Amino acid sequence: MDTKEIQKILIIGGGPTEIGHETELDAACVQIIQAFKKQGIRSLLIDNNPFSAALEDVQPTNVFIQAVTADNVQRIIENEHPDAILPTVGGVAAISVIQELQENGVLTDNNVQTLGIPASAMMEINNPDRLNDVMRHVGMPVIASETIGTLDEAINVANEIGYPVIVKPIAPRIDTNRMLCENESDMINAVSRGLSWSRFKQCVIEQSIVGYKEIELVSMRDTMGTQVLIAGLENIDPIGIHSGDSMVVTPTLTLSNVEYESLRDTAFAINNQFRFTGVVHTHFALRADGESYYVTKVTPYNDRGTSLAACATGYPIAYVAANLYLNQKLTDVRLPEIYHFKQTAILEPSLDHVVVRIPLWPFEDIKNADKHLGTVMKSVGSTIGIGRSTEEAILKALRSSQFSPQDELPSMSNLTDSQIISQLIHPLSSRILVLLEALRRGYQVDELNELTKIDQFYFVKFKHILDIEKDIKTHPMSIEALRKGRYYGFGDGMIAKMWQTDIETVRQLGHDNHISPTYKGIEPSAGELSGTPTGYYSTFELKNESQQLSNKTVLVLGRGGNQLGPNASADYFTTEMLKQLRKSGYQTVIMNTNPNAGSLTATLTDKQIIDPVQLGDIMNVIAIERPVKIFVPGNRHYLTRELRRRNYSISILPPDQEKRSELLSDHANIGLDLFVAKGHIVPILASDLRSDQGIATTLNQITLMRNPATLTTQQLDAILKHAKAYLGAHKRTGMVQMLYTTNGNSKQMPQFAGVRPTRLTTIAYLNKVTGINWVRMLVRQALGEIDEKLIAKWDVDIHSERRSQVRGTFPFKQLQLPDQLGLTTQEVGAKISFETL
Amino acid sequence: MAQRFLILEDGSIYPGHGFGAGATTTGEIVFNTSMLGYQEIVTNQIYHNQIIVFSQPIVGSIGIAHDAYESILPSAKGMVVRDVTDISKNRQRSLSLDQFLKQHNIPGISGIDTRHLIRQINQTGTIKGSIVDVADDHAFDQLHATVLTNQQVAQVATPRPYPNPNQGYNVVVIDFGLKHGILRQLSKRNCNVTVLPWDASAQDVINLDPDGVLLSTGPGSPLDLPESVLEMIRTIQERIPMFAIGLGHELFALANGSDVTKLKLSHHGANHPIRKIITNEIIYAMESQGYVVDPDSINRDRLITTYLDLIDGSIQGLRHRDYPAFSVQFFPDGAPGPNDSVDLFDEFIEIMGTRE
Repeated sequence: MDTKEIQKILIIGGGPTEIGHETELDAACVQIIQAFKKQGIRSLLIDNNPFSAALEDVQPTNVFIQAVTADNVQRIIENEHPDAILPTVGGVAAISVIQELQENGVLTDNNVQTLGIPASAMMEINNPDRLNDVMRHVGMPVIASETIGTLDEAINVANEIGYPVIVKPIAPRIDTNRMLCENESDMINAVSRGLSWSRFKQCVIEQSIVGYKEIELVSMRDTMGTQVLIAGLENIDPIGIHSGDSMVVTPTLTLSNVEYESLRDTAFAINNQFRFTGVVHTHFALRADGESYYVTKVTPYNDRGTSLAACATGYPIAYVAANLYLNQKLTDVRLPEIYHFKQTAILEPSLDHVVVRIPLWPFEDIKNADKHLGTVMKSVGSTIGIGRSTEEAILKALRSSQFSPQDELPSMSNLTDSQIISQLIHPLSSRILVLLEALRRGYQVDELNELTKIDQFYFVKFKHILDIEKDIKTHPMSIEALRKGRYYGFGDGMIAKMWQTDIETVRQLGHDNHISPTYKGIEPSAGELSGTPTGYYSTFELKNESQQLSNKTVLVLGRGGNQLGPNASADYFTTEMLKQLRKSGYQTVIMNTNPNAGSLTATLTDKQIIDPVQLGDIMNVIAIERPVKIFVPGNRHYLTRELRRRNYSISILPPDQEKRSELLSDHANIGLDLFVAKGHIVPILASDLRSDQGIATTLNQITLMRNPATLTTQQLDAILKHAKAYLGAHKRTGMVQMLYTTNGNSKQMPQFAGVRPTRLTTIAYLNKVTGINWVRMLVRQALGEIDEKLIAKWDVDIHSERRSQVRGTFPFKQLQLPDQLGLTTQEVGAKISFETL
Repeated sequence: MAQRFLILEDGSIYPGHGFGAGATTTGEIVFNTSMLGYQEIVTNQIYHNQIIVFSQPIVGSIGIAHDAYESILPSAKGMVVRDVTDISKNRQRSLSLDQFLKQHNIPGISGIDTRHLIRQINQTGTIKGSIVDVADDHAFDQLHATVLTNQQVAQVATPRPYPNPNQGYNVVVIDFGLKHGILRQLSKRNCNVTVLPWDASAQDVINLDPDGVLLSTGPGSPLDLPESVLEMIRTIQERIPMFAIGLGHELFALANGSDVTKLKLSHHGANHPIRKIITNEIIYAMESQGYVVDPDSINRDRLITTYLDLIDGSIQGLRHRDYPAFSVQFFPDGAPGPNDSVDLFDEFIEIMGTRE
């Protein structure tokens, strides 16, 4: 098709974040919209994720805040007549919608071209059976498998193949992977679930490859068939643990050249066979002896693998892919200047650093979930560590993955030996700490390799980490121990704890002995080609590459890996903050460790530092950048306290996070959100507050807001009056939510229940409802830019009758928990709607 | 591991830890940006007289494998790395990279800021260096005084012919410092191979009545080889299908009247896009070169450019207008590197076939 015809593209958004996808889809979407804009393309976007930054980047008239369903997409197609539709930033749900629209002829009837995945391949995506046919076609061995539609068939097939077997639903509605079944009863259970998830009520039963090495390749292909391999991702955990729950390292460290190049050839052959355009993520299972391998999954769209590859290499995958969708050749794609040098799109990235990704699980917040890791993904986020050695990358990722703000690792020393063995065989989310503990207790590399199927290389590295740890512990205040510890990735907080001293003492020792961090660029040529990258990580070597940006720099501390609760919205919040800070004339530096974060997008900030957001690491960045201000989205009590103690200028946003809520009651059903500036109190929205299942009996059950609030005009006026009077008398700034209770009697005035800082999730919702970006207003307030004139421009109609709601979503289904009342701390995402309530 | 130093001609000193052999060594410093295949790289004879800096952050992680040798007696002068891991995966669990280097008297140094070193060499161009125990004046004097031989091919190529019998086409390989990947590819295609020493005459070749002749890879400058080699090439290309790789390609260009010049900075990596001019296809291949064919010197009546590197613009392939003879600068056999251009061996087979 002639690209000149493509002028309007409907992009299918990722929907609410959930287990299986988080902010990476939206981050990719932002880049794609940027690239489309540059090519003069009009983007339409459908999404109901209130935390989508992409929604902010599209003209409001081109935004459709609706759930991603075939019906909704069809309606937009029929009303707006887009030339093409893009499913590659919408995850599995988008693929499923396109499949449906292709089947019922909507796409052909309306002459809409699908970008990225040709129509001929669309029905074969996520269909393991069809994938096997293609494998045979390109001469690859395939795993013994058969498609079944009933339980009886399943039992027969499984008996033929022999247990253990794997069950995979065909064209599932949710992001699911393989379910491992050791015996018939396991399998019956899995098949009945799988059939219900499958759009075709079909499953595939296949031979188990549990224990194989899991390798993923991320590649790009243009419509001419030119391909570039971006990265190889090696799962440290073997097949049997979902790749989303596995520790992952890039580049691959335990593959031979022959193995790696065979995988590359196969991935390219598959891409050619399907004629994919854009980015493709191919999963392989490799037998431990390297003698044979299978393709297990092909995802020709953005996902956590592609975002990790982009983050690790500095190759802007989504941006390049957007150009490829428009039929540009890889050789012709020209990138914005910040991407190191002009031919980045066609250079196969070569890395001189190691990146390790460690998942984050929601078990702190959902205590009744089964913490075992298996073939069904349970993690809700992840965090990466980048280093010049494997040890450094592992330790940095591990430090960022812990809940302790003090940069310490929890001890596993209270586990009994039998618990250790059991957890080695049936790993829990504490996997890596248990592996370290086992080595500490003298388990041998070979036996651990046997028990866990993790390559011996990693145990050698873990063991080395323990040796260094011992060295540090037994040599308090030793310069050499500090040098070595830092060189291999130990944090100042960890070292301070081992030496039973404070972090200041450790830092002073480092300073006095010139043990200084050296930042290294994240770029795809391994130092071969010159250019100035914008992404950096620290290590302790000879030469530092990162210089102070300017004397008007702000440092923003990212939230790290996603967890449940407000973090789902924190990345959106951070992104919007960064946009405003730049607009207000500052150079911006972001520190973050979440590979899926939109806030790490290279075009958004002047410098990205991927290092643990821990005190020692922050101080290292401060030493170079000398920021005029440090911004902290949400609050990090320990960090802000420690930084303030050192006289740094800290702005916490939203500002009132620091103040405690003042609550008269633990119950409320009406919320009034207001913006409080010096001399101004601006009401924004009055809402009904509900739990996910009706009335909220406690505040932490409030996960749903609905508008307009069920208040009479008199009631609304009464709370407005009360709120203004109250806030006039109490010193608060920024955004607050006044809480009230009503008892159904419209004559009675609502009762004041308390006041609390407006939640991050609520602010995102308020942005969408009012069309005013309150995050930016908070930033401007912190910068002293809020004045009468600006406030006069805010067109907020507190009496608006427009109907809308935002509703938290929970990961109970994926965690196989019965439906339960979700708490604010258990939210994995949220969805917003303006029509159907 | 004992502290050792990498010192460079320009006076810089990089402290690190010794591994492999403990000898003092001097060579030209070159860097390789491949992300894997350390064994193939260090055993490649093109690194004769050279100390290889690896940008890949870790070497040694898969030990030494019986099927990853590119020569039996490697002649590299040293390995410079950020990190080395001591792992053996062979059947006896007895051969790690460290032990292998000890056996072959090749020193290594780890803990080096290889990224900085590479960026530095980028500025200075190719430079000499030594791995030493003490970085004192004496060490620098020795470094400056060391003259590296230019008789590199003679030192690494086989002195005597040897066969690799099979049932297929009869191929003569001229060994200028042959990497095994070439033999593997010919073997896969059932070629009956005879490897001849680098100074074989045209008559030596013709006596074996080959279907095709392959000019191999090798170390050093093509300009250091005697005119007799070019004469051999000119005689053979008129009569027998010819395929030339690496140093062989440079010699093929010289034999056909082109100039070959030394690069300011040698290039070793597998990530540059290469355009196959006739089809416009983009491929990736291991490029490893200290010399390059001067594009302005090409006699267009005789040679056609077939492959071009899109990053540095270097000529990567040539074909003779009149004879069934072609050449590539890069390594189509991978080992290490992509297999994108391995079909060049099939093309060679085809050309041998059409000649019948």
